Amino acid sequence: MTISTDAKATLAGSQDYEAISRRMRRQDRLFLGLTWGAATLVVAVLMGVMISLAYDALPAFQKFGLPFIWNERWSPAKDIFGAAAPIFGTLVTSAVAMVIGVPISFGIAIFLTEICPKRLRRPIGVAIELLAGIPSIIYGLWGFFVLAPIMQSVVQPFLINTLGDLPIIGALFSGAPYGIGLLTAGLVLAVMILPFITSVTRDVFNTVPVMLRESAYGMGMTTWEVVRYIIIPYTRLGLVGGIMLGLGRALGETMAVTFVIGNAHKVTASLLSPATTISASIANEFAEATTGIYTASLIALGLILFLITFTVLALAKWLIGRTETF
Amino acid sequence: MSIASRRYRRNRIAIALSIGATAFGLFFLGAILWSLLSTGLPAIRPSIFTQMTPPPGSNGGLANAIFGSLAMTVVSILIATPVGILAGTYLSEYARGSKIGEAAKFINDVLLSAPSIIIGLFIYAIIVVPQGHFSAWAGAVALAVIALPVINRTTQDMLALVPNSLREASAALGAPRWKTMTFVIYRSARSGILTGVLLAVARVSGETAPLLFTSLNNQYWSTDMNAPMANLPVVIFQFAMSPYDDWQRLAWGGALIITVAILALNIIARSLAGRRSS
Repeated sequence: MTISTDAKATLAGSQDYEAISRRMRRQDRLFLGLTWGAATLVVAVLMGVMISLAYDALPAFQKFGLPFIWNERWSPAKDIFGAAAPIFGTLVTSAVAMVIGVPISFGIAIFLTEICPKRLRRPIGVAIELLAGIPSIIYGLWGFFVLAPIMQSVVQPFLINTLGDLPIIGALFSGAPYGIGLLTAGLVLAVMILPFITSVTRDVFNTVPVMLRESAYGMGMTTWEVVRYIIIPYTRLGLVGGIMLGLGRALGETMAVTFVIGNAHKVTASLLSPATTISASIANEFAEATTGIYTASLIALGLILFLITFTVLALAKWLIGRTETF
Repeated sequence: MSIASRRYRRNRIAIALSIGATAFGLFFLGAILWSLLSTGLPAIRPSIFTQMTPPPGSNGGLANAIFGSLAMTVVSILIATPVGILAGTYLSEYARGSKIGEAAKFINDVLLSAPSIIIGLFIYAIIVVPQGHFSAWAGAVALAVIALPVINRTTQDMLALVPNSLREASAALGAPRWKTMTFVIYRSARSGILTGVLLAVARVSGETAPLLFTSLNNQYWSTDMNAPMANLPVVIFQFAMSPYDDWQRLAWGGALIITVAILALNIIARSLAGRRSS
């Protein structure tokens, strides 16, 4: 009697158990499906961006062909478009930003990891990172109203009078001081990318084993020698990765540049003259693009920008990833 | 000169240069904040929060723009948070170490740094053109696409910090995986994930470029998500580039409001994350 009820209970229990475990498996599959769907959506968005840009840019490439990329003429009135000036501006402003920003970022990272007293490390580190929190439109506003007048009245006349007369690099600093232009845009970009490069650099500096660092100090090396001969060689790849990450940011930055670039579709040797970048052209002109080919040309610019930044970012990720696996 | 003293001199120069570099960075932070405070504070009056954006030459405020920014930010975060957390869960928990998972993580990182104006063009093509008009929905979706990779990435990082013994303990008690995730793992990573969401809010609330051709702008008070809606960044852009003094003043006021809000969010997020690690 007792045995049979027990058996019954066990039987019922096992049926219950099976029902429960079936339900749980179903819920598990549902949850897995949900997370898989979300992850796929992220991938789909990136694919979507690429496909929609390529599709909408097609009319521009059909009409102008590949010369679209190196043709300088940009004439909305005659529906003739060439991307040379925006591409040139994008590359030059980013190059200026890298020349100013990279050594300064490295300096900050060296200061924060090797020199700074422990107590100040966190507040100064946070302050530098806050630079990344300031929205780009604020950089643009500040660059246009505060920095550009200073550039026009002080910095650019100085550059014209000193470097402007030198034989080869003089061409870079010739012409009138407009205030806005390639150099000012590059300077604003340099400040904007500081926190990004600094943060990657600090991270890779911290991957250097303490043993290695301490041994070098123990041998009697100075701080600079430890940085120069131990830390930098050890973290080489990651440093290049950090630079590429900053470059990716600089290439695609829109609002800050739009304020201070001057929006002039021309290729000039002088860093002081107004120019345009890909992102600034799109931001300035997209709303007023009336003809289909105008819009398509601007989207073609966007596609070119996307391909450039994609390559640079991919390279950056790959290099940083290789450092981390050491 | 002896070798030693040359080495010491070189060291001193290097130290001085890196201190100089840090001073350069801090100087710009200080200069930007100073300009914002000195030019923006006089523009902050009660009317800036209550009145609409004015036509040039008359008084007004930024009430419609502030509301628009809040509305679009909230909608975008409501879209991006669940998707971002679920995607981060898949990449961190289910696809750990697999090739496809690594590729998806890489794609997310590319999306994280992709130029925001490109996202604007994308949303313009898939929402604004088919709809035939600019709308706050399009703006919110564009912002969601920008917030999504931020939340996804922080979720991945935070879930990776949860010790495996917790997963094993939960599994040993017979809990199915989804229960382990929602009742154990999410709970222990809660403050980290919240940090990610806050950082995403900070990121999108200052975004301008993707809104230029999605939500556009609106001079009037509007709560219709299906119509163009004013928002702070675009109003700042438009007003700052205008030749009118009163518009420029409002732009600086708006810039101060937005920067203070975003820096506060950043600091709150950081202190949340800091408390966790200490």
